Amino acid sequence: MQSKTAPSQPAGNSGAAPTELRLEGVSKSYGGVRALQEINTTFRSGLTGIIGDNGAGKSTMMKILSGVTRPDTGTITLGEKALHLTSPVDARLSGIESLYQDLALADTLDITSNIFLGREMTRSFAGLRVLQDRAMAKAARETLSQVNIRIPDVAVPVRALSGGQRQAVALARAVRFNAPVVLLDEPTAALGPRETAAVNDIIGRLVDSGRMVIIVTHDIPAIVGMADHLIVMRAGRIVREVDPRQTNQEELLAYMVGSRT
Amino acid sequence: MQQANMLQRLFGAGGGPLERTPNKAVLFGLRFTNLAVLLILLVFFALSAPGFLSLVSFSNILDSTSVFLLLALGETFVIFAGGIDLSVGSMLSLGGVASASYMSERFAAGDDGVLTTVVGILIACAVGLLGGVLNGVVIAYMKLDPLIVTLGTLGIFLGIADLISNGLPVGDLPPAAFTLGNGQFLHVPYVAIIALGFAAVLSFVARKTRFGRYCYAIGASQESVRRAGVNLNRHTIMLYGISGALAGLAGMLNAAHFSSASSSAGANALLVAIAAVVIGGTPISGGEGKIWGTVIGALIYTLLDNGFVLMGIASFWQLVVVGALIILAVYLDEYQRRLRLTVGISRDTEGVAPALAADGAAGQDSTGAKASA
Ligand SMILES: Nc1ncnc2c1ncn2[C@@H]1O[C@H](COP(=O)(O)OP(=O)(O)OP(=O)(O)O)[C@@H](O)[C@H]1O
Ligand SMILES: [Mg+2]
Repeated sequence: MQSKTAPSQPAGNSGAAPTELRLEGVSKSYGGVRALQEINTTFRSGLTGIIGDNGAGKSTMMKILSGVTRPDTGTITLGEKALHLTSPVDARLSGIESLYQDLALADTLDITSNIFLGREMTRSFAGLRVLQDRAMAKAARETLSQVNIRIPDVAVPVRALSGGQRQAVALARAVRFNAPVVLLDEPTAALGPRETAAVNDIIGRLVDSGRMVIIVTHDIPAIVGMADHLIVMRAGRIVREVDPRQTNQEELLAYMVGSRT
Repeated sequence: MQQANMLQRLFGAGGGPLERTPNKAVLFGLRFTNLAVLLILLVFFALSAPGFLSLVSFSNILDSTSVFLLLALGETFVIFAGGIDLSVGSMLSLGGVASASYMSERFAAGDDGVLTTVVGILIACAVGLLGGVLNGVVIAYMKLDPLIVTLGTLGIFLGIADLISNGLPVGDLPPAAFTLGNGQFLHVPYVAIIALGFAAVLSFVARKTRFGRYCYAIGASQESVRRAGVNLNRHTIMLYGISGALAGLAGMLNAAHFSSASSSAGANALLVAIAAVVIGGTPISGGEGKIWGTVIGALIYTLLDNGFVLMGIASFWQLVVVGALIILAVYLDEYQRRLRLTVGISRDTEGVAPALAADGAAGQDSTGAKASA
């Protein structure tokens, strides 16, 4: 497991631009529900937006890429390397970080503990892994300020935060460790306009620094303006892949609801 | 909720910085309710029960607290992590009977060396660890509810204790065991030193180590911990293993104290252990709580117990009172939590809400409102 001490500064493998992330024949069913059917696609560096109706399979695809869910069939390749993502640790070790739609925060723990959950800075003492709380709090404050998230007290339990603030904490966790691939499942869903703008700004900076960023969103006008590449999903399939400069919202909506195929 | 809102208004939540200070005082006070109850009980019994304020009485209290404090300490960790271990009482019996059987056999064979007692301790801990690991493995790998699993092992451990002892008390323990169970250092029983030593170490583990942090995190959200890449199964097994080992040790010390072990030794132990945890302010829902709370909870229980005896109240009442106390403690805790949340949030909406504001301006359109949901 993660026996190494997490670096206090964002990791040194600072997002060495990944070539491509390829899915081939990826399927996933939940009982009778075919959440994903024969997904074939390739993600490249820059910003890819995934849009689609509720239940289209967007989160399922993200969870497969982050090792939370195992596909029934199919292969995933990052660059030249075949990935066998059997757990979130595998994904992380392959340089994939995620913000989950449900955030996956531990409510009773404070902000710092949540950002570092699973990657605590520790030192060994009498066979125990003793937490370096002060160093982590400092690093958490740095991260929050780097991503323009202003939370005065990182010792506040996450359950005392608003929906938007919780989302901000989850976002901070996903960007803190400088992974080359960042998956964001509806990062702005709980945010007001001002906060959304701030998050979009963060995403822009991630992309500028050469990362591969994949974002699931329902904010179609925003993603059309930002993304380098768009994927439209419906009923477990990819129904359209398009350069956002060569499409418009009407066309995208038509693909989403199935009036065009 | 309504009272909480009133209090919030009374203490000027959401007001200026001056009015905010009382909030902190309230929170500070709430944090120490258990301690306050303990002190009130101490004073009450000191005034009403003759002979209560004596060294003998105090070392009695420590003595009888210690054994089930060990149980309660393990239980506290399990409850932090959102689980429950109903088998600790049976494990106390089993650990006691197993180690006492060995010790009394060696003693009967003419071996009265200290080593016999040391091995007796190791046997109790090992048996406890084994049983606890069994709990953990079943809970982790078969994905069963700990309530049911440990209810099952409650029966299994008790049955094995009966099998080993033939349902009879095991006596004739070596003198070293008696010394361990009844000796004192500066009027503090050895048993109490052991239990408090464990409390200190486990408090450190809970607050300062990664293991402790994962316990709380699992109690808050098992899924979040899984996604964080933590090996949940290993953690669960360790957790129940610790609980079992402490229960086994408690069984040995109990046997040493009474110079006898029996399968009925742990009869009320489960009730008392959970009472100590809950009275100590650890919510049964997991994710938070304090080890020292459990120590105070255990002391409150024993204090009532001893006080009742000194006041000449029939011992049957004690169980009734403990049961009622558990329910009262849970209620008070729940009430506190609501209050804390309300008071806490009024503070947060002042300070924390502009979290995402890109520059300076307090962007708290929807954010503040959501927090109170
Ligand atoms: N753990 C699960 N168990 C059973 N069914 C599931 C599970 N997760 C997803 N599904 C089903 O798979 C389908 C796709 O779900 P998914 O969460 O991927 O949709 P989505 O595109 O992310 O939708 P939304 O926009 O609402 O977030 C849905 O029909 C959903 O009910
Ligand atoms: Mg989704």
